[in-house]
Amino acid sequence: MSKDEVLQKVVDILSKYSKVEIEGNSITMETSILDDLKINSARLVDIVLDFEDAFDIEVDDDDADSVATVGDGVNLILAKL
Amino acid sequence: MLDLKFRDKFALKFQHMVGWITFPVWGGILIVLMRVVGRYRVPELRAIRQKYKEVKRATCGPVIVCSNHLTKIDSAILNWSLASVWSYMKSFKFFSWNLPERANFYHSAFLKTVCYLGSCIPIDRGGNREAVRKSLDKVIYLLKKGHTVTVFPEGGRSRTGRVDAEGFTYGVGKLVNKVKDCTVLCVYLRGHNQETYSEIPRKGARFYLDMKLIKPTSDHSGLRATRDLAAQIIGQLTQMEQVYFATSRQ
Repeated sequence: MSKDEVLQKVVDILSKYSKVEIEGNSITMETSILDDLKINSARLVDIVLDFEDAFDIEVDDDDADSVATVGDGVNLILAKL
Repeated sequence: MLDLKFRDKFALKFQHMVGWITFPVWGGILIVLMRVVGRYRVPELRAIRQKYKEVKRATCGPVIVCSNHLTKIDSAILNWSLASVWSYMKSFKFFSWNLPERANFYHSAFLKTVCYLGSCIPIDRGGNREAVRKSLDKVIYLLKKGHTVTVFPEGGRSRTGRVDAEGFTYGVGKLVNKVKDCTVLCVYLRGHNQETYSEIPRKGARFYLDMKLIKPTSDHSGLRATRDLAAQIIGQLTQMEQVYFATSRQ
């Protein structure tokens, strides 16, 4: 799976939780999940669990803690695939 | 794997010791403020303290106190309700550590001092992940050393006035998952005139307090276990709230 495909799936997942409208290519690898997408930090675990389901991977607690930006999520997934 | 340095552990021990030595003074002042200025009462105080004593006797491992959260001084009311000044002086490990949000409590020297003496570890909710992890590492260290820690599993004061069974945080699940053999004392605390969340309870509040000891377990592992364990605790608090409204608000 290419990086762009992973990014697209990650954006789809994040859009379920985001309090701001996600438009077209507004999301980059540097986009902060908490600050830019206004997602409650408590939902980060749900997001990572959605990553696990969508990509059939397993993420441990410490790796999940490292996810702060969209790029962190994408790179984490790519490392596990 | 805990990432605490010797100086972090020493700082916690020092804070605990200073809190204990000075407790008769600041603990006494806090109780007077609550009783005289707030006119707060806990009608079943003696029975509650007896029950807490029995709970502590029945558990040999670490205990996490998990309570619903409606006001900024819930921790103080909990500690006051659960044991006497004398009991805390005999065993200050009974006095629960707290995790107040830094933004709410660490903006003045006075509050910082109160929090320091009152066994608080500031946490930056939604802030730097590394800083949050370090705070949680401190809590895990303390629990493993047999201290008591209070956590509000909803992650903040409930905006609806009821236990938030939808938007709760999973931090407490992570603690239970990481600290083997820990038990959870679920506490439902509410002033009789507390309709929703507020800064402090209304004057003259009479507090209802119910507690139940549980040992959450999960068949899952990792993050799913974290979520599952947190959900069990919230489920217990929700049940206790239903009992409260069925029996005490009729």
